[in-house]
Amino acid sequence: MARPDGLGAAETRSDVQQRLDRAFNPRTVAVVGDKRAMGYLWLRSMSTFQGKLYSVQIDPDEIPGIEEIGVPNFASLLDIPGEIDYVVCAVPRQISPRVVADCIEKGVGAVALFTSGFAETETEEGIRLQEEIGQMARQAGLLLIGPNCMGIYNRRLGLRHSWEQPAGDAGNVGFISQSGTHCINFSLVGDRHGIRCSKNVSFGNAVVLDAADYLEYLTDDAETEVIGIYMEGAQDTRRFFRALRETARVKPVVVWKGGVTAAGARAIYSHTAALATVPAVWDAAMRQAGAVQAESLDETIDAVKALVYCKPGSGYRMGLIAMTGGQSVVITDAFEREGLEVPLLTDASYDKLSQFFNIIGGSYRNPLDSGGTIGWGLLPQNLQKLLEVLDEDETVDAIAMEVGAGFLARRMRENPGILDALLDTMTAHRERSQKPFIAIAHPGHLEDVSAMIRSRLLERGIPPFASFQAGAKALRRAIDYWRFREGLD
Amino acid sequence: MSIVDVIDRAKSEGRTVLTEIESKQILEEVGIPTTTARLARTGDEAVKAAKEFGYPVVLKIVSPDVTHKSDVEGVQLGLNSSEAVTAAYQEITQALKRQQPDARNEGVAVQKMARPGIEVIVGMSKDPQFGPVLMFGLGGIMVEVLKDVAFRIVPLEPRDARQMIREIKGFPALQGFRGQEPADLGALEKLILMVSAFVEAHPEIEELDLNPVFVYKNGALAVDARIVVG
Repeated sequence: MARPDGLGAAETRSDVQQRLDRAFNPRTVAVVGDKRAMGYLWLRSMSTFQGKLYSVQIDPDEIPGIEEIGVPNFASLLDIPGEIDYVVCAVPRQISPRVVADCIEKGVGAVALFTSGFAETETEEGIRLQEEIGQMARQAGLLLIGPNCMGIYNRRLGLRHSWEQPAGDAGNVGFISQSGTHCINFSLVGDRHGIRCSKNVSFGNAVVLDAADYLEYLTDDAETEVIGIYMEGAQDTRRFFRALRETARVKPVVVWKGGVTAAGARAIYSHTAALATVPAVWDAAMRQAGAVQAESLDETIDAVKALVYCKPGSGYRMGLIAMTGGQSVVITDAFEREGLEVPLLTDASYDKLSQFFNIIGGSYRNPLDSGGTIGWGLLPQNLQKLLEVLDEDETVDAIAMEVGAGFLARRMRENPGILDALLDTMTAHRERSQKPFIAIAHPGHLEDVSAMIRSRLLERGIPPFASFQAGAKALRRAIDYWRFREGLD
Repeated sequence: MSIVDVIDRAKSEGRTVLTEIESKQILEEVGIPTTTARLARTGDEAVKAAKEFGYPVVLKIVSPDVTHKSDVEGVQLGLNSSEAVTAAYQEITQALKRQQPDARNEGVAVQKMARPGIEVIVGMSKDPQFGPVLMFGLGGIMVEVLKDVAFRIVPLEPRDARQMIREIKGFPALQGFRGQEPADLGALEKLILMVSAFVEAHPEIEELDLNPVFVYKNGALAVDARIVVG
């Protein structure tokens, strides 16, 4: 395939992918230009790296600090013995062509330029330098990530952007981001929501490698099952669109677009020098490609969470369980507003429910106002019956349940075991049922208890959401994706 | 004439906007159903063409300098006799002189008056980032004022054509609103896919407007067409 803006025409997808694989799974990493003023950001972040780590720094004032961290330092990349699979370059912009030249001579797998101050500054020197390093890399076939980026995060190998990021115990979600902040936040916030990353990349100005290159790589990556993207603008939008369409056919992709408004478009130019896109055309392209769209980090995380944790289901009809009358009303509004349906159940279901459902202060038409029936957690056997009815009812495609964190917190003071019994019942349902199943745990006034309940749910593989609206939105997006996969609509 | 011949001739004359007659020749070549238009340079030629097509007919001004034919009173519909055609020819020619004296007059396009159907618009323009993009909407006020349109990136798949028709808010109007006959959605989808395949195969097409397309209970018909080449 001809690559007008990317690597040379001779480079095929598989060449680039193989070489990217070396950079994403490095055995040796070199950091060029880390320094005290940055708090040795890179060397500290890489302290968890499972392979061999080197530093390149010529400033005599900086070298003692680097040696103190325990990382061997060299005066040049070329002085490091053996092969270097991945380089992070943090030198000032005017030095960057020299480092790129060294990377080419050393034959490194890839270099990520943390260095910024290029086309995004709209200055003559920035634009010229970006062209220079881009041309050098393209001519030599060097994989250049960025500039103006954080590069690669591989959780399994402890290759990080930040010392706060988790290392080890990697998961199945990859993230491609034009912003370093969003890339790091996705890994940090996502981790709190049970989303463990496989491989992430922050790619900035995309002067050589474009969004589509990383997308193709993660599409082929066996460790990555769901992909998130934060995007400001690709160098080659058509190629990105084609890659996205291919990916969505095999793996879910959630795309969060930055710079959708006119003022936002101005901001993305100053950030990554990307051009504005017509929103209606972008939306159409995303739907056409089968990508899930999100408008914020929270929405991205919620959509990914639903896709990772829910069993695939393509029906819109909800069975809803809430703890009180008021919540029953608003959970129904929330799901209907997202285009999901809350139908009446079958006569067979009503016959079964009438046997045990407590209608004093409750009702079971759907939504199921069930607080009294399940004793706000004290009667898990009734919850089990209730979930069974919804699972067997053919008018119900997916189930959402309010766990009532406030009630639970109060009851747990008397009986700490109550949460386990509830979780056991919900887990048994999750394992038995083929229908998507989500939980809603409002933080309310008990954020700490709610957070604990959320993490306990995640341990059991049940995705919790912080509001009815967030749960409904995420589930609708996941269902739309599965409908796309099934060729519905 | 083949598509390439039509485009080359326009280019050799320094034109990028094809006439309605040329645009429709291309549509016919591609297999997109349209009302054939024939050029008449005199009133007698117009009458002759009208007789061949059968009444009623429509006459439209042909001028490379006119973008919106109705703005120069250059369209006459529902002409039912040779007298009406002769008169219309004169009126259209004189109106052009009056409204836009500098415009070249190449004659009129004669075509059979299409049976009215539900009016829709199918268009293609080039997005600086995504390249050729198809647009679909209901004709008239729905597109111009309410911007009730759907887009898809070329090339489209059958699913895309199906979705974009159903995506517009005005979709119920295509399903047989207030006793009107329902539109042949299959024919409309097919037409959209043919436009997609055509513009994909011909990157030199910069813009295309089928406005309006009449959709019937059976079939769809491009009644007016405008193609711009690069």
